[in-house]
Parts: sequence; C-alpha cells; structure tokens
Amino acid sequence: MAPTESKRNQLLTRLRTLYEGLGYTRFSMRRFEEYGLYLENKSFLKSENVLTFTNPDGKLMALKPDVTLSIVKHARKERQGIERVYYQESVYSYSALSREVAEIEQMGIEAMGDVDGYVVSEVVRLAVESLSIIGLPYVLDISHMGFTAGLLLSAGLTPEQQAETLSLIRRKSAHELEAYLQSQRVDPDSAERIIQLTRLAGPFAQVFSAALALSANEQTDTALAELKAVFDTLEAAGAADELRLDLSMLNELDYYNGIVFQGYVQGAPRAVLSGGRYDLLMRRFGKEADGIGFAVYLDELSRSLSDHRALDADVLVLYHDEDDISQLHQAVFKLAAQNLRVITRKGEIAPELKVGKTMCFENGTLKEDR
Amino acid sequence: MFTIALPKGRLVDKVCKLFEASGLDCGGVQTDDRRLVAYSADGSIRYLQVKPSDVAIYVERGAADVGICGKDTLLEGENDVYELLDLGFGKCRMCVAAPVGFREDLTAPLRVATKYPGIAKAYYAGKSREIDIIKLNGSIELAPILGLSDVIVDLVETGTTLKQNNLEVTETVLSISARLIANKASMKFKTAEIERLTQALRKEGASV
Repeated sequence: MAPTESKRNQLLTRLRTLYEGLGYTRFSMRRFEEYGLYLENKSFLKSENVLTFTNPDGKLMALKPDVTLSIVKHARKERQGIERVYYQESVYSYSALSREVAEIEQMGIEAMGDVDGYVVSEVVRLAVESLSIIGLPYVLDISHMGFTAGLLLSAGLTPEQQAETLSLIRRKSAHELEAYLQSQRVDPDSAERIIQLTRLAGPFAQVFSAALALSANEQTDTALAELKAVFDTLEAAGAADELRLDLSMLNELDYYNGIVFQGYVQGAPRAVLSGGRYDLLMRRFGKEADGIGFAVYLDELSRSLSDHRALDADVLVLYHDEDDISQLHQAVFKLAAQNLRVITRKGEIAPELKVGKTMCFENGTLKEDR
Repeated sequence: MFTIALPKGRLVDKVCKLFEASGLDCGGVQTDDRRLVAYSADGSIRYLQVKPSDVAIYVERGAADVGICGKDTLLEGENDVYELLDLGFGKCRMCVAAPVGFREDLTAPLRVATKYPGIAKAYYAGKSREIDIIKLNGSIELAPILGLSDVIVDLVETGTTLKQNNLEVTETVLSISARLIANKASMKFKTAEIERLTQALRKEGASV
C-alpha cells in the first residue's frame, strides 16, 4: 500500500490544476461579511441558517455561508472581457438539529464579464471535468431557467403561484402540480406543458426532441437553442456522454437566468456540484457584467473520499527490551521501504490493533508470528 | 441492488398487495414480520421496514432508493426528495380538533398540541393566527381534555378516537395519502428501475 497523499488533497490539487490551466486565478477572502449582504439575498443561499456576531462597532456580521455573493460583490462593474476566478474556502452553516456549527470546505469557479457562448461551454465543460476527476460514475444534469420562466410566463402565473409551481416542479410531483394548476384555473394547454416538465429527464440526445415539442414561445425557443449549442460543442469534444437534460431542475428565478446544472456521483445521495448563469445576481449588485459559475460541495463527497482503512497497519512488529536497537531499526525501516505500513510495539501482544500480520523480532531477525 | 423503504405498520399489507399486483415480488414482507430487511426471491430488490416518519430520511440520505410514506411525514420533514406518485391509499385528513362546543379566545395565542409542529405552524401562519405549539409524541387527544392545550392538530381517519374523547373536527388542514418518493441521485443512476416501478404502480394504483 503506497503511502499516498489523502484522496481529498489529491482531488483538491487536481481541481486547482484544472482551473488554473484555463486561466482562473485564486480568489481569497475574509471569513466574514456584513450580515446585510446575506439578508438581502436570503433565497440565494443553500441554507438560511447564517451564523452572526456583532463587531465592536455594533455592526452585525456573519460568518460567510456562501462564496459567490462575496466574489460578485467584488467583481468589476463593466461588461468587458472575462474575469476568471476560482476559490477554495470554508463556508459556515448552523444545524438546527444538532445545534452545532459546521465548517464546510467549498471549491468553485466564477467567470464574470462578457459571457458569450464560448464561456458558457467552457464552464459547463469544467463542471464535467471536475466530476470526472472525482473518479466515480457521474452525471451532469443540465437545464435552462429561461425555458421554465417562458412556460410560466405563457401560463400567466402570479409570483405567488410561480413560487408554488416551481417547488412542485422541483419535486417532480406531477400529481400535485396537476391538482394545483387546476385549482388556480390555469388554462389546460399551459398546465399540461408545465406538468410535462416534471417528466422530461434523460440522456440529452434522447430527450431533446420531446423538449422541443413543449416549447411555447420565443423565450423557450431561445433557451432550447442555447442548451443545444452547449450540448453540440461538448459532444464534438467527446465530453457529452454523461450530460442529461432535466428541465425540472431549477435554481432561484430571482438570480439565475440561463443555463443551470447539477452534478451527481454514484454513492453520494445529494448533488455534489451545482451552478449556472446568474446575470440577475450581478444586476442586483449593480454590475453591468454577466456571470456564470459553479461550486463543488466537498462535504457531500466526504464519504466517497474517505481514507478510512480496514486495518491500522499492514505489519505489527513486536520486540523486547533486550533486543538490539540498531538491528530492529533497520528491519523496521526495510519493511516501510517496501510500502508497508508498520507499527512497532514492545511486548507480546497488541489486541486493540487490527493488522495484516504480526511479526516478532527475535535474535536480530523478524519472524512471522504463528 | 434496488432498495425500497416501506412504512412499518398499517400500510405494509396494502403496499405489498399493490406491489404483488404490479408484478413485484415482496419477499414475504408482512405486517407482523420482525425482520427489518427482506429480499425478493431473485435478490434484486431489498425491502426495509422502518418507522413511517423515518422513510423520507432513509430516501433523502440514499439508504433507500425509493420509499412509500404518507404526505403528512413529507410535509413535516421537508425532505429533499422527488415525490413521484400519489398512490391513492392510506387516505386520511390532517385536522384541527377541539372539545365539543369549544369557543376560541381570540385575544390570546391558541395553544395547539400536535405531533406535527411544522404543519401546524405553517397552517396557522397562513391564517396569521398566533399560536403556542405543544409538541407531543402520542395520545394527543388527552391534551385538550386536561387543559394542556386548546385544540389539537392530528391525523383523522374515522374520527372514532375523537368521538370517544368528546372532541370534534373544527377545520380540515389538508388531505393525506401515501406517496411514492425517490432519492435524487438514485433517480439519475437507477432511472430504469425507478421508472418501471412508477409505471407499474401508476397502472395498479387506482384499483387498490
């Protein structure tokens, strides 16, 4: 067994190399921000449980629950060129159930400025590459907020109805959606299109034609054309095999306006990567520029990346006081040089250790025990 | 291996009947079964019998790919899962009940005893009524009798328990039935299995 760097550090290094290779530079920031930043953008956050404290001036501060908001706040104002950054930062959340503060490491990238078709394809490709680096079977679900927004628009829903409808679409709850839209007297044709959204998921090439049939207006047409363009680019590059179209996958309508995506790996029960295009978030901060990016949730990967081993060591070496130290020293380091994990112990037994095999040091040589 | 979480108790027999009718081998799962894990004959499906309120957690966290549970536990737990089907059985209502002849004092917060603090809170918030929640885990009907609470929010199937304790339904919060739920990641990696199950249950659902 090679004494390797932990799987987690390996992953972080490879992700950093990937992002730096495409011109993304590291963005570092403070651990805290003014609480107002999060209060105004509550629905952008994954969880509403923000940790706050008061600074000596009486200002309410928050341990940052999210990185994107801080980066967007510092982004250039003008829509010119592309500012590419990546981050590896701790974010903090509060679990109401365990009454504990959790510190979670997050890695991600943001591209801000004049986001064109190429930049979109670059960021989606980096999401695919990030998932593939994890080394487990994966899928990247891709969707477009413009498609959903377009369908909701053509159905003429009020903001309140939109919120309820979106939450039902996210749950793929066709039966509840049907009952709800009926109770709100949405016209049957629009309702049917929205209900079909929940069933529209699968390998991109297979599902796309069904999506075309649902298109209701110019906005939904544009959204689908954008999705197709990204898919075609990635397919030509041989990177689209694990791309799935899932139009029920949605982010917040207030912040995201274009392509959105979520990555899953086998063995992790929740999404491990999430991102999308957030021009509307940029506008909220008074920026002319567009933005797109994603975060990798390292906490969701912690079980898959665990270095937990079944054994404490490969070899346990037992020795006694009267043994020759120099000979013992050489024997132990010889084993370690063979890429074996060795533990030494003075005495006859070490019942609390789980080891591959036990060796006894006797008369200057190692003998296998029993 | 495909894992299905079933709610221990009154729904198990109905679920198994529905599964068998849909052509799924239930591996002899029964209400009085003490085994918590059972397998289909060909070993391809594993059935877990867990506390009904835990089904959604097993599914959300990926210990089970799909599960069957009541809408009540889904609303209360706010679990991040897909809700694929209304199975149409296990029907009951979430109700507000009060002692017969109860007159609400609108000048004070209403004291509500319930097993479902989340649902009760959301319901009264929607009516802008200030309440004091008393979370109990069983024998909810006792609370208003002893003056521990003014009303209760609880599941009502036949209303017999209420009647025996001199309580009556004053409002219906919502209708409840059993739902098929799925883990979000399983939906991507075991798409075919989940779709097959959903189709089969959809076809059989109405007749049970």
